[in-house]
Amino acid sequence: MSEGTDLNSLLVLVGAAQDRAAFAALFGHFAPRIKAYLMRLGAGSAQAEDLAQEAMLTVWRKAALYDPAKASAATWIFTVARNLRIDAIRRERRPAFDPNDAAFVPDADPPPDSGLERAEDGETLRAAMEVLPPEQAEIVRMSFYSDKPHSEIARELGLPLGTVKSRLRLAMGRLRQAMGGRE
Amino acid sequence: MKISHHPSEELLVSYASGSMTEPVALVIATHLAMCPACRRIVADAEATGGALLEELQPQILRPDALNSALERLNNTHGAPAQKSRSNFGAPEPLNSYLSRPLDETKWIHVTPWLAIKPLTTRGGTRAQLIRSAPGSGVSLHTHRGEELTLVLQGGFSDEYGHYGPGDLQTATPETQHTPIADMDSYCINLAVTDAPLVFKNWSVGVIAKLFGF
Ligand SMILES: [Zn+2]
Repeated sequence: MSEGTDLNSLLVLVGAAQDRAAFAALFGHFAPRIKAYLMRLGAGSAQAEDLAQEAMLTVWRKAALYDPAKASAATWIFTVARNLRIDAIRRERRPAFDPNDAAFVPDADPPPDSGLERAEDGETLRAAMEVLPPEQAEIVRMSFYSDKPHSEIARELGLPLGTVKSRLRLAMGRLRQAMGGRE
Repeated sequence: MKISHHPSEELLVSYASGSMTEPVALVIATHLAMCPACRRIVADAEATGGALLEELQPQILRPDALNSALERLNNTHGAPAQKSRSNFGAPEPLNSYLSRPLDETKWIHVTPWLAIKPLTTRGGTRAQLIRSAPGSGVSLHTHRGEELTLVLQGGFSDEYGHYGPGDLQTATPETQHTPIADMDSYCINLAVTDAPLVFKNWSVGVIAKLFGF
C-alpha cells in the first residue's frame, strides 16, 4: 500500500471511528505541511502553527464528511487549510456551492474513478508536476502561493497576461491528463 | 440547463487556490452550483493544491504541538449542526447572500429599465444583482476592469452570443459590447465588477458613476 492510500485510510478511520492514533499520524504528516503552506502565503511562524493546529482540529471534526472516492486526503486537507486561511487571515467568507441544495445541478456522469484509482492520482499528479516545464510549474505554484489574481502575477513576472494564462492552461492540461486523461 | 459560456480556467484555478476575493468567488461558486463541467476543473485544481501541499518542505512544530492538539480533541465533538437557512430559491452560495426571494428583491432603480441590488463589496470589487426590463439594452460600453455576469433568470444577447441561465459572461478592458435583454422576460444577472463601466454615451456614464455599476 502506498503512502497516499495509507493517509486516505487514516482519514477514513478518523471519520468512522474517531481513531486518535490515526489522527496523531495524520497530524504528524500534515500539520508541518499546513504550517509551511501558510508561511508560504505570508503568515508568521507562530500564527501559521496556531492555524495549522486549528486546521487539524477541523479535520477531526469534519472527517466523517471525507469521501476517498472523491479526493485524496492531501487534497481534502488542502481545502480545509485554504478555507481556514480565507476565514482567519483574509477575514472573508468563502462562498461555496452545496451539493444538498435543491437548486444544485448534480453531475450527470457516474464518478470517474473508484477510491483506489483516485488515491493513486496524488502520486501520479506529483510526478507530473515534477516534469512540468519550469516556466509552467512557476505559474502553477504562484497561483496557489501568491494570493494574487493572474493579472498581478503577470505584472510581477513582467509577462503579458496572455502568456501567464496560456502557461497555466498548458500546465493544467498536462496535470489533468496525469489524473486520468480528462481533457 | 444547457450552459455554453463558462469562466476561464484561470478563474477556476483562482477559486480552487483561494486567491479570489469574496465577491468574485460568489459569482464563480454560483456558476459551479449549476455547472458540473466546471466543478470537475475545480476538483482537478484542488487536487493540484493537495499535491503542492505534499511537496512543501515541512516546517518544524513546537515540541508539544501534537499533545496539545490531542488534548483539545477531548473538547471537540462531531461536525457542528448546520445552521438552518431560509431557502429563497436561488442556488447556494447566492442564496445565503439574499434576504428575500429573487422575485421580491428590493430593487434600486438606476433607470426605468435597469435596477440593481448590491450584495457584497470587497475593496473596489462589488457583487450585485442586476435586473433589466425585457428588450432593454445597456448602451455601448467598455470596461476598465474585469466584469463577470452570470445569468440567473431570463437571458441577454450581445456581439458575442446569447446568454441564458447559468451562462457566465466575462468582459475585460478589451471587450466593447451592447448587451440587450431577451424580449420575453426580465433578465436577472449576478454581476461582479472591479471598476465602473466606461460608456460611449456621456449621460449614461454619469448615472453609472453615481450608482457605481
Ligand atoms: Zn461552467
